[in-house]
Amino acid sequence: MSQYASLLIALPLFSAFFIPILKRLNKSAIMPFLVVVTLVQTGIAAWVFNEIYITGKPIIIMAGGFRPPVGINLYIGHFAAVFILVVTLASFLMTVFSMRAVNVEPKDKYAMLFLLLMLGATGMIATGDIFNLFVFMEITAISAYALTAYNKTGESSEAALKYVVLGGIGSSFFLVGIALIYGSLGTLNMAHIGQLASMINPTAAKIGLALLIFGLAVEAEQFPLNAWAPDAYQEAPHPVTAMFSAFVVKASLYAIGRIIYILSAAEGWSSVLRLLIVLGTLTVIVGEMSALRQNNVKRMFAYSSIAQVGLIAMGLALGTESGVSASVFHMFNHAIVKALMFLAVGYVAIELGGVEMSKFEGLGKRMPITAFAITVGAISIIGIPLFNVFWSKIQLILAALNAEYTWVVALILGASLIEATYYIRLIHTMWFKGEGEKVKENSVLALIMLLLVAFIIVIGIYPEPFWDVMQKAGRDIFDVAQYVKNVPLMGVSP
Amino acid sequence: MNPYYFASIALILIGLYAILVKRNVLKMLVGLSIMETGVNLLLISVGYVSGRSAPILSEGITPDKAVDPIPQALVLTAIVIGVATTAMALSVVINLYEKYKTLNVEEIRRLRG
Repeated sequence: MSQYASLLIALPLFSAFFIPILKRLNKSAIMPFLVVVTLVQTGIAAWVFNEIYITGKPIIIMAGGFRPPVGINLYIGHFAAVFILVVTLASFLMTVFSMRAVNVEPKDKYAMLFLLLMLGATGMIATGDIFNLFVFMEITAISAYALTAYNKTGESSEAALKYVVLGGIGSSFFLVGIALIYGSLGTLNMAHIGQLASMINPTAAKIGLALLIFGLAVEAEQFPLNAWAPDAYQEAPHPVTAMFSAFVVKASLYAIGRIIYILSAAEGWSSVLRLLIVLGTLTVIVGEMSALRQNNVKRMFAYSSIAQVGLIAMGLALGTESGVSASVFHMFNHAIVKALMFLAVGYVAIELGGVEMSKFEGLGKRMPITAFAITVGAISIIGIPLFNVFWSKIQLILAALNAEYTWVVALILGASLIEATYYIRLIHTMWFKGEGEKVKENSVLALIMLLLVAFIIVIGIYPEPFWDVMQKAGRDIFDVAQYVKNVPLMGVSP
Repeated sequence: MNPYYFASIALILIGLYAILVKRNVLKMLVGLSIMETGVNLLLISVGYVSGRSAPILSEGITPDKAVDPIPQALVLTAIVIGVATTAMALSVVINLYEKYKTLNVEEIRRLRG
């Protein structure tokens, strides 16, 4: 029964390649088809989530029935179950938004790339093999390049070019890292690597791990490889921007966390953690400082996203279970909030024809629901109590204190202060400046926005059940011994 | 140490140099391809054992007389992915040239801030 979970990979792949046929049959059916496929995918993800949290056991799918490390396996544990649900749910909401937001032809290509982007992120989260991780990362990356260039303006091509060049460098680094680890251990399976990690050559482990992190850092938007992100966020179609921020980045961050912890038994491991902490810190500082001086609101949100991603990476690199859980919680909250904010800002761009700060004057009177959604998202990101991000920031601060990184606390508080500065400026512009005619808001999009707002507030008021789930998900990454024990390795032992 | 390692690292560095220093977009993409080739060579040389034959089962070739097949399979995949990336990048460049009428990255700078 649990083998049906492989539909999570199979369904988007088949549907993506069914779209050219559908285009021949009926062109106007493409977008509704996309909505149906993502809805079914969400259903499967919800079923998998339910299954895993009831039985408490991960679902392991072995390709072709060969046991790992000979065969390739998918590992859907507590973490993957939650985040695949986030991926599919965000994709579903964004397909609904796409019907309104994407009017440039060819829509069939958009639908294909959209499904492949979703597939790539799902695969990155589910895979149990580092080379497969590379393949899924490239599926995600190539569809992301193409979607960035989708609008076919000069600017979107420029953003896509930056992304392609940085992504190419990153994937080469990643492959070199794989070569080093394979050369040292003779295996690619994550569980097997975890089992053999104490025997790895320390130099190969350190350099290999650092190269893998650099390779993933392109997609995970870590400084200094994130130069593509603000441009791509600004120029990609609006639903795609929301997807980048909501789950493409998160999938890469998860991969960073997983790869770090499976090698935690290797010698010299803590120096790699320090490297990641430094990268995360720089990412936060650069992101917040750049967000402060933006006049284009979409770009401002992009930089704010980068800063949050830096916080998540730092949480992953604290090296304690509470740090990992806090970061997973922050990933989850950030996914919801950024999906909401990019949806709202994209909707403003469609209705008012631009996302410059001046367009937001009087938005509270012109589009009250959208303005309300942006306000809730902004307040939440700053970390005001009774909104979801408050709890994950508190958990990050507690984890940093436990791990004796006191300056991280100062960094988180300082970052929140800068966020407050630019978000309050935006809120002030929306509610207290300018006048304008009322625009009739699309009821479906308003419903989606209110749904996400409700979600933010529910987590903000009742964080405990969510925090329980996130702790389980964090333990799934942190507890490598359990991970190795769960995967049925064929006749190998250290 | 295997001499192929040095050759592949040299190729990677040449590619990286081209990406970072060249101002023509096409030359940057050529650099990217050179870098990918270097990485593929590195992967292949990880599995290379001197004096053994290709990992194809035939008469007289037993598993202990063949090189490690996994890196070769990986490289095939990596080559295909590299081709896809290059094709994607070239189509972006075509569009870029139509819009900006130049291939110089210093002039392709409308997005700032």
